[in-house]
Amino acid sequence: MNPLDRRSFLNKLTVGAAAAASGSAAYFAGPRPIQAAYKPKGNIPDKPFKTGHITFLTGPANLLGEPGRKGHLMAAEEINAEGGLLGRRKIETILADEAAGTDANVKELRRMKLSENIDLFTGIVSSGNTPALGPVAEELGVLTLFNDGCTDFLFDKAVPKPKYVFRVTNIQSADGITSAVGAAKAWPHAKRVASLQPDYSYGRNVHEHFMLAYQKLVPGATSVSEAWPKLGTTDFTPHITKLISDKPDILICGVWGGDYVAFYKQALRYGLFDKMKVATTLAFGGQPHAIGKDHPEGVLAGAHANYFFTFPGKGRWPINDSFVERYYKRWNEYPSFEADGAYTSLYLLKAAVEKANALVGGWPDDDAIITMLEGMGIDAPSGYTYIRPDNHQGYKDAVIGMTKNDPKYEFPIWDPESIITIPIRDITAPPNWPKPGQGHNESTAAANWLKTTWLT
Amino acid sequence: MDTLIIQTLNSIFYAAVLFLIAAGLSLIYGVMRIVNLAHGTFYALGAFVSAWAVGAVFGASSTGGLALIGQLLILPIGALAIAAVGAVIEPTLLRPLYGRPEEYILLVTFGLLMILDDVMKLVFGGTPLSAGSIMDGMGSIRIGGLLYPAYNLIVIAIGIISAVGLWAFIYRSRFGVILRATSQDRRMASALGINVGRIYVQAFAIGCFMAGLGGAVVVPAQAAVLGMGVDALILAFVVIVIGGLGSLEGALVGALIVSFVRTAGIQFFPEIELAVLYLIAAVVLLIRPTGLFGRA
Repeated sequence: MNPLDRRSFLNKLTVGAAAAASGSAAYFAGPRPIQAAYKPKGNIPDKPFKTGHITFLTGPANLLGEPGRKGHLMAAEEINAEGGLLGRRKIETILADEAAGTDANVKELRRMKLSENIDLFTGIVSSGNTPALGPVAEELGVLTLFNDGCTDFLFDKAVPKPKYVFRVTNIQSADGITSAVGAAKAWPHAKRVASLQPDYSYGRNVHEHFMLAYQKLVPGATSVSEAWPKLGTTDFTPHITKLISDKPDILICGVWGGDYVAFYKQALRYGLFDKMKVATTLAFGGQPHAIGKDHPEGVLAGAHANYFFTFPGKGRWPINDSFVERYYKRWNEYPSFEADGAYTSLYLLKAAVEKANALVGGWPDDDAIITMLEGMGIDAPSGYTYIRPDNHQGYKDAVIGMTKNDPKYEFPIWDPESIITIPIRDITAPPNWPKPGQGHNESTAAANWLKTTWLT
Repeated sequence: MDTLIIQTLNSIFYAAVLFLIAAGLSLIYGVMRIVNLAHGTFYALGAFVSAWAVGAVFGASSTGGLALIGQLLILPIGALAIAAVGAVIEPTLLRPLYGRPEEYILLVTFGLLMILDDVMKLVFGGTPLSAGSIMDGMGSIRIGGLLYPAYNLIVIAIGIISAVGLWAFIYRSRFGVILRATSQDRRMASALGINVGRIYVQAFAIGCFMAGLGGAVVVPAQAAVLGMGVDALILAFVVIVIGGLGSLEGALVGALIVSFVRTAGIQFFPEIELAVLYLIAAVVLLIRPTGLFGRA
């Protein structure tokens, strides 16, 4: 390990630049020469390929679930238009509502496997659900590509040695750290920190990792105010008044979905945005049009450290240009990070199936597909996504930017001048870093790694 | 000091909305012994209808004093719409089940909750609707160094007027006497020539109107989001568990206790926000199982 020092770490981050284009754009659907399509080997059955997709179809979290569903369906439609997986197996999707609760989701996963006999399980937004579903998926032996539900706990503790379970979007600890890096770069003197977090695993994770990273980046930073609203809160006025009364320089806000919309509208009228800098992890996490033009500019708007559709910008990454265009044409709205993740999940599967087929011919069994997924990299709309073999977790460079209104859109986007990308290996624990319980008792491997090695 | 004043106003604002929801729930239970699980969803529906109506008539960008007054006048449409929905639902869905055990009503209203949730998503879409132009039109007042939205004062006023109005209606009007008589003994009221069916529809519609009004007044301040009804239902139950099921005074006192304790918790002990309301409810249940104003 070469420990980074604080100043050079912040200085080397690129601001406003696009991801370097590498690889070929031809893998995804869209205009391309016909010979680019893969020609399968051996006999492929034409049995439909059944996927179970659970995401939020109702409730305030629908703002995140809806784009996931749409990204998944769009990828399935595109693959099916070319005949399906390996040109033969059409993808069918069984949907269920994640809002039914953790227990109901576990039952539904069992039902999907045992009575519908699904070939693949995907979706999931909430970090409360993946740790319950992961072990069940392993037990049932159902190939699983979680889209989100990105808690570190899943692969740190719940499924420490995954076989069937993978996850595509960035790991959760990277979310708080990304906002800390963005905030430290923008406001290096903001030392009094307030925190507004939903009171469950996600909010706890954001608070802890933001503070750990921020205190290393901004020496002397202290937490002066905390508020822990319940998930699904609509009245934030007492929280807002409390936060203002503690006179912080900066607020880190992990509230998301419909809750965030209610929060920012109330915070506006209480003058909160004039009294402190505001950094978020998920302001740009839902459907882009859920945030109105009344949202203040200059707020650090997190997209779960994953993706917002205006970056990489037009002409800089053809895969994204084409994805955004097709998504808009199909759904009459713009994609979110959940859309990118769900869409990329199915293409990861497609790539793994084709690679396995090239080696063994015929329809590959799950073990062969899993071997191909481990260590696989793919050029996704958001950039290069890599599945690490040791923990089956997806990694892509983290990205964040400041809100700005643009006459081209009905909602705020990232100010192109403000966007920073952070190499993901600089903010996540390296492969095989000791997990909680293996010589340390931090909440996550990332927390231990941050404390012991990160920035000197 | 400024913080204290604002937090007190925040608490009263929250209590006003909670009272509107809980009073309707309590009224319906008091008269008909119906525990309406769809009540929170009526509140959400009121919010969506009002936000939609304000947006549809005025658009998002209209400003000026006249537009503001117009928007305020349109806002109660949500409450009226929900009263109408209630007037349809009671005779068609609920009345056939009155002779049966209470579980049937619970199941039917729970089913209604889920159906209405989906209907709202189908009709209004998944993204939050807001009538924020009202908030912006009315601006904020300055209290010391802090801002407080002027519109919230209107909500507080509506809460107070509703509490007084509902009290006068039930305890000082002829209809109120009939309502209370029916609630005490349905068969006797019927024998005395009271049209119980009509009283039931009216009481149910009034209860729904209150829920819809809660949603209508809250939507400029917050936003109509999917799922807001479930949270409201749980809070309304906490309020009436504390205040006593079927009691109007109980709904008022319960709403005040819940919102002041919640605010104090948030201000001084943020970590316990989740637990504190259920703690009070548990303590009240231990000491007075029927709630502070409940009848055994």
